[in-house]
Amino acid sequence: MPTRTATAHEPARTRFAALHGLAMAADRLARLSESLALPLREEPAGGGGPVLAVMDGPAAAGDDAFWERPFAAWIEPEEPGAAAPVTTLAAPLPTLVARAGASDLYINLTTATANDLHLAGRVLTALTARRALPDGLRDDLELALHEAISNALVHGNLQVSGMKELSTAELERFSRDLVERLADPALAHRRVEVAVLVEGDAIVVEVADEGPGFVPAPQAGQGASGRGLDLIATIAETMELKDGGRRIRMRFPL
Amino acid sequence: MDYGIEQRDLEAVVRLRGRLTFNDHARLRGLIGEMVQNRAPRQVLDLSSLEFVDSAGIGMLLIAREEMTNNGKELVLRAATGQVKRVLTVAQIGKIVTIED
Repeated sequence: MPTRTATAHEPARTRFAALHGLAMAADRLARLSESLALPLREEPAGGGGPVLAVMDGPAAAGDDAFWERPFAAWIEPEEPGAAAPVTTLAAPLPTLVARAGASDLYINLTTATANDLHLAGRVLTALTARRALPDGLRDDLELALHEAISNALVHGNLQVSGMKELSTAELERFSRDLVERLADPALAHRRVEVAVLVEGDAIVVEVADEGPGFVPAPQAGQGASGRGLDLIATIAETMELKDGGRRIRMRFPL
Repeated sequence: MDYGIEQRDLEAVVRLRGRLTFNDHARLRGLIGEMVQNRAPRQVLDLSSLEFVDSAGIGMLLIAREEMTNNGKELVLRAATGQVKRVLTVAQIGKIVTIED
């Protein structure tokens, strides 16, 4: 059953002017450009409207310049003819582009790519390139983004449980699980979605994953894990869990 | 994150550099092993060059503290600044671990 996203019925905020490929094969990029009716822009820095980056893995997306204007969305499309089932986050590219259009910044990547790129830092780069932030807010936003995205990747998509006891055995278990599950293509291929809305007086960020969801434990924060959500709750003005814990919405006052 | 250890008579000072996050699990395992091995009864983590720590990083510091206690050693967190200092404060880590300026 498809889940309606929070932004689906809001008016378009971003009208993409062009498409730019990051490590994307030329013939595939040309097909995407045609199917989306978006022209290719080889040199995105030239100005002329928001650019959608389509990427094939993290290889070409390491440079900060690819996370600043005019880029406004970063999507890793499914391989053509991939056997992976269509899900809310692994939707056909035009659906994802429509969702990106309803956001100011939009990212939809596989877990492997997001982890490789240290995605939270990239989102912060994109945000600070659009809007100057005081140092304190910048640090807090970075932490909240990092916590929400690493929760989505580690506990959501990779289903690695947190370090419950304060022991090196538990650290070793966490370490082993993380490495093993990142090496499992089915889990590493699950998606994370980040949508950012920059309002006049606030930044609203939604982070969603394809994991089993969770119910927040009342006694979090006793062992080595479980502080992430508490930190977010302290930093954000409001924090809301949706879709059985697969989606978090955070609001930060400016 | 990377680190360097300076060995003195009564304390070992470990200077952490960069960012300490869930991705540093293997390095932290190695570091805890080194801190258990060396002879100093007092293990000081100098955080002045640490730029960022996440909740998993805090969890790993607490595991290090537990491991030191189990080995009859003391763990001290020293000289945190900026984001790291803020997280230690917000997560109330000072209730569990000795924190020095």
